[in-house]
Amino acid sequence: MTTLLDVDDLEVYYETEDGPAQAVDGVSFSVEEGETLGIVGESGCGKTTLAKAIIGILPHNGYVNAGRIQFRGENLTELSDEQRRRRKWEEISMIPQSAMNGLDPVYTIREQINETIETHRPGTDRVESNRIVDEMFDLVGLDPDRADEYPHQFSGGMRQRAMIAMALSLDPSLILADEPTTALDVIMQDQILNRIEGMQDEVESSMLVITHDVSVVAETCDRVIVMYAGQIAEEGPVEEIFGNPYHPYTIGLKRAFPDIRKSNQDLMSIAGHPPELVDPPSGCRFAERCPLATEVCRTEYPPEMEFGELRTYCHHADEIDEEFRPVADRAETWEQTEAAEAKNAKATEATK
Amino acid sequence: MGRAQFVVRRTLQLIVTLWAVATALFLLFRSMPGDPTTYIVDPSLSGEARERLIESYGLNEPLHVQYMIYIQDVATLSFGQSFHSNRAVRDIIALYLPRTLLLMLTAFFFAYLIGITVGIIAGWRRNSDFERRSVFIALIARSFPDFWVGLIVLWIFGAWLDVIPMSGMRSGGIQYDSYWNVELWLDTIWHLIAPAAVLGFYLMGYPLLLMRNSMLEVLSQDFIEVCRARGLKERSIMFKHAARNALLPIVTAGAVALGYAVGGSVLIETVFGWPGMGREMVNAVLRRDYPVAQGTFFIFAMTVILLNFIADLAYGFLDPRVTYD
Repeated sequence: MTTLLDVDDLEVYYETEDGPAQAVDGVSFSVEEGETLGIVGESGCGKTTLAKAIIGILPHNGYVNAGRIQFRGENLTELSDEQRRRRKWEEISMIPQSAMNGLDPVYTIREQINETIETHRPGTDRVESNRIVDEMFDLVGLDPDRADEYPHQFSGGMRQRAMIAMALSLDPSLILADEPTTALDVIMQDQILNRIEGMQDEVESSMLVITHDVSVVAETCDRVIVMYAGQIAEEGPVEEIFGNPYHPYTIGLKRAFPDIRKSNQDLMSIAGHPPELVDPPSGCRFAERCPLATEVCRTEYPPEMEFGELRTYCHHADEIDEEFRPVADRAETWEQTEAAEAKNAKATEATK
Repeated sequence: MGRAQFVVRRTLQLIVTLWAVATALFLLFRSMPGDPTTYIVDPSLSGEARERLIESYGLNEPLHVQYMIYIQDVATLSFGQSFHSNRAVRDIIALYLPRTLLLMLTAFFFAYLIGITVGIIAGWRRNSDFERRSVFIALIARSFPDFWVGLIVLWIFGAWLDVIPMSGMRSGGIQYDSYWNVELWLDTIWHLIAPAAVLGFYLMGYPLLLMRNSMLEVLSQDFIEVCRARGLKERSIMFKHAARNALLPIVTAGAVALGYAVGGSVLIETVFGWPGMGREMVNAVLRRDYPVAQGTFFIFAMTVILLNFIADLAYGFLDPRVTYD
């Protein structure tokens, strides 16, 4: 397998009134040809920013501060706007977070897909691009006759599928799916996920699935990255990440989702919030909410630790198996963090 | 309900509205202080001659009979005869309306062309110097009354620099055998430039600000981000997608504004001595020339109502989401 996308020490900042917010800070990973990589993390952890930086649609106040985005050996951040534009959709397409509103309301879906094809492949005749539209509609399970309708005539799920059809229309090497199911009801979520899985079998594109929903990742991905506050906490194969993770955050995240096999399990939340990204802590960004945190965690950036195929950024990762895993299921364990203590102190204050 | 049914229903509404306007105008002029007979009848006439004259204008009839005659006239768009000049009101309108339209439509066309274009660019380049400057200019244009700017322009360019005519629509003594004489048109355009520019400058601010705001709103929508991700050309995103969507509210506002612009031509015509319908309307009111005043008022009202109607229809063509239910 060859490497398709290689992100190296990427920093993406947003200009704010209080200074630059470090939305993505020193992230490195790669996507192999034909692979599906998931990125999970809570809202605001920088996963969408990462996707926007890769495809090249950061908002006006966002910029790549440092690092490289190598795509087929070419550093995308060094390309001119015009060179970059030509690679969009043709090479990297996306199923956006709000796919339901991703279509222009005043043009039919066929017109919009045709426009995309004809922009990137000048000289394509109308018969050919219409044929592609029909084919893509078939692929995502929509009636090709309905391509001539306007987006508002479609239901939410159909619009989502139309968006997927558009994302596939130029046969891109990489598809970024940013929260592809968030806006849908559960039944529709399942349909769309099945559709994405089916699509993975039929087309050879690599995928980057960005979501806060662990079940979506479990269903569609080969490998997962867990992000926290703009950085990678842990990375590895799906089974490893959800079966035997080594980062306290991943363990906590897992505990926050219900497990169908454990009927009377208590769901837990991790007390506290991710740190401010304008002036983040110099050490481990999770330290404040971590039950294992010690002095070194607050001052020093965590090292990369390897456990088989897992890559974990934690000072205490080697203590996990013996000391943390046996007690990780207990609620008391998660009370022993700086953030939880601060919260409790506040609560006692309030009762006084 | 289909488009055809919508047109039929709106046309019926239109007729009712126009009838209401016509009736209001009739009552308005009859209830105004002043008696038309004192303006049109020579006081030195003998009593009998005087009554004959009043009778010839139909002013001796009771109000409801006058009203019936009036409504019949309106229905045939004839509006009767002028008390003042004895000419048919229809001819007077046919003479003055094109002049007003020439001035108004020229000003309006350039105001909206420039205003919308600048508004698109200002919205696209948010927080740029271009945006700040154009918004500033638009606010200036909107805040200075056009008759005042008109006087300043006349003073500087007419009286002082002497590069524009001071008044009127044509130079005196110009010879022409037909309306298609080139010299006549050049002369008219030369007279047209100053009033059209002043009016256009005033009108420009509204579409500019409206278009800019509308652009900002559209640009924040998700599909614009997807357009960028699709690798469409910058210009195509700006005009074909952003501006096309942002244009929708401008169409309605523009049609209504055009109606008011035609009706509001009075001041600019007075300042620049442009012999248009606005000025004629004011003169008719002052002379208690009922038929002319009613006729011109009615035409102005009809313009506003018709343009609203057209805006409604245009919206259906521009926005596929609009249905006629």
